[in-house]
Amino acid sequence: MSSSSSPMQSTGRKLKLKSKDDETFEVEEAVAVKSQIFKYMVEDGVSNGPIPLPNVNGKTLARVLQWCQKHADPTITEDELNKYDAGFIDVDQAVLYDLLMAANYLNIEELLKLACMRVADMIKGKSPDEIRRTFNIKNDFTPEEEEEVRKENAWALGP
Amino acid sequence: MRKERKEISQDDDRSPPADLRGADSAESSNKTRNCSGVGSVSGSTGPSSMEFQAPCPDQVLENVLENVLQFLSSRRDRNAASLVCKSWWRVEALTRSELYIGNCYSVSPRRATNRFSRVRSVSIKGRPRFADFNLMPIDWGAHFAPWVTAMASAYPWLEKVYLKRMSITDDDLALLAESFPSFKELVIVCCDGFSTSGLALIASDCRQLKVLDLIESEVTDDDVDWIACFPESGATCLESLIFDCVECPLNFDALERLVARSPSLKKLRLNCYVSIGQLCRLIVRAPQLTHLGTGSYSSPDDVVPGEHASDLQSALASCKSLVCLSGFKEMLPDYLPAIYPVCANLTSLNFSYANIHADQIISVIFHCHKLQVFWVLDSIRDEGLQAVASTCKDLRELRVFPFDARGDTEGPVSDVGLRAISEGCRKLRSILYFCQHMTNEAVIAMSRNCPDLEVFRLCIIALHSPDHVTGKPMDEGFGAIVMNCKKLTRLAVSGLLTDRAFGYIGKYGKLLRTLSVAFAGDSDMGLKYVLEGCPRLQKLEIRDSPFGDAALHSGLHHYYNMRFLWMSSCRLSPKGCQEIVRALPRLVVEVIKDEVAEGPDNTVNILYMYRSLEGPRDDAPKFVTILQ
Repeated sequence: MSSSSSPMQSTGRKLKLKSKDDETFEVEEAVAVKSQIFKYMVEDGVSNGPIPLPNVNGKTLARVLQWCQKHADPTITEDELNKYDAGFIDVDQAVLYDLLMAANYLNIEELLKLACMRVADMIKGKSPDEIRRTFNIKNDFTPEEEEEVRKENAWALGP
Repeated sequence: MRKERKEISQDDDRSPPADLRGADSAESSNKTRNCSGVGSVSGSTGPSSMEFQAPCPDQVLENVLENVLQFLSSRRDRNAASLVCKSWWRVEALTRSELYIGNCYSVSPRRATNRFSRVRSVSIKGRPRFADFNLMPIDWGAHFAPWVTAMASAYPWLEKVYLKRMSITDDDLALLAESFPSFKELVIVCCDGFSTSGLALIASDCRQLKVLDLIESEVTDDDVDWIACFPESGATCLESLIFDCVECPLNFDALERLVARSPSLKKLRLNCYVSIGQLCRLIVRAPQLTHLGTGSYSSPDDVVPGEHASDLQSALASCKSLVCLSGFKEMLPDYLPAIYPVCANLTSLNFSYANIHADQIISVIFHCHKLQVFWVLDSIRDEGLQAVASTCKDLRELRVFPFDARGDTEGPVSDVGLRAISEGCRKLRSILYFCQHMTNEAVIAMSRNCPDLEVFRLCIIALHSPDHVTGKPMDEGFGAIVMNCKKLTRLAVSGLLTDRAFGYIGKYGKLLRTLSVAFAGDSDMGLKYVLEGCPRLQKLEIRDSPFGDAALHSGLHHYYNMRFLWMSSCRLSPKGCQEIVRALPRLVVEVIKDEVAEGPDNTVNILYMYRSLEGPRDDAPKFVTILQ
């Protein structure tokens, strides 16, 4: 995806963004285009005035932009980036959800992937009940349905 | 990932609950669900761009669930995820790309393909293992046909198929070759029913083929030059070509050309129709090989014995990446030194076809410091095993096969060899050891010295053989194994064993999944101890042991948790087996008649039973009676 960042050709133009709690951010185009949404806007030339983002709060947007900045940096090595990502995503569940939502909404592929992998890591090794508790999910199977799935998993797909 | 999202929405009728938003859809239908999960789509008067109701936490996850579940690869995790709630079940089913069926009769192809719609890799296992030892008539079943037929329409993007102990026909292979344009890997283990004609179709039609591995399978010689059927021009994608079990003459020139144009080829295992001279020519073309099966390792046309030796040696030496060596099907000892230069890097060596002297094997072993996997014939003798013990400190897996499986010889390997291995190879995880006699002491020593053992299979060939020093049963030895080896999951027992041994297994074998019993035990209590004591037991295979109906009944609480139970030449009656069916109606209970091993009329020859979601199979041959 990332042919978007060629800072040598940076126009120095900035995008103005406004979070849902009215915080404004200025970010270089080269960084902002990590988000497909902004990329299209820049390409279509509709980037005048602050872009309202009613779905992302200031705190999260700051985080996301920081991530974009890091990932747009040409001098950073892959190792450094991996290390950065590992630290970046090591956050509590509420923050993780905010990041997930923002990455999805702003269509930032690699950030979405990073966040999703983290969520997957939180699922691994858990029983169904533990997963439900971790993510506050209601079990909407009837006991009979659940038993059928359990049986199918164990009898047909078991280790 | 973006590209895949587009694929998802196009291919699938059952639209996933997770709405994967791309820039285009951000402006259109936003599913404004409230947190109680009641769905409602906002319809045509959608809000203006970028505005919608912030989803609550449950929703966030649901929106990206497909992306998240894609990162789950283990079956256990996927099975757990599918039980969380209905939407997770749906999304897990959409994202499962590897389907593993441990018993082809436990579920129907239709049910499997209905649930999982985007599978790229399928593994199916069929016959029970004891069928390998001619304990069951052929044509019992485990046909690949219904599976390949179902997959041909359900999984057009299928890439990998792994089959173990299945019956495969040439028609099946033909259907496979024509149905899956992205097909990349075919691995066939312990299967039969097909011929070189079938292989020819795979070779010619699967243009993306990377892996064609034929392992321990019976292939009929149809006189078809299947090697020549690979596309003649351009480089192939081949990474692995294993056909050492295909006992049919081949077109060497075609093989040589194939290897020459397969730059990615890493694994090549030849059959016995390849001579040493030909082997040299092949290796020279493929110095990048990591795994080599040397074919016959013989040279019938030698004018001077060993005339190819230096050619072979330099050819092998040019394979800098070689880590696994096998073959040696008709090994000429003159050529043994040729492998010395590559031994230092070997992690895996299979000498189980090489009937050579112990000192010849030892001369090789002394070079193999990195060896982790070693398969050998018992002609290695105890001295050879001592050499292994002193050199191969990294050994993880050892298999010692009998050259002469009759029970009346002295036996070249014994407790001495076993003890030596236990003392030298402390990292041992898996052992299969055939011998004529054993002592408890040596087995106990191994249980103490090798705490990482996961697989312990001791096959004392002489039936009912006691500890040959003390004359006592082998109970204590096996008892020590289950007691001390905390990671043990697979056990095969033999020798003179009383119920006491089974008592130990039931008491300590808490992680045991697979147990093989042959010619052992005193009474029903033995089997009872195991069935009551081993909660993780999945696969139980028993032959020629004095377990009857009462023992069989003691497992009723557990049979639905097991993949299968096999009991042959035991003391079961048809009535006893019938009661199992009555108690556990979803178990398929097969009583198999084996002409050769027929016992008295009111005993059951072979009992093979397994849980199934589908009920009795409809392809059972005449000699199988499914009790109902």
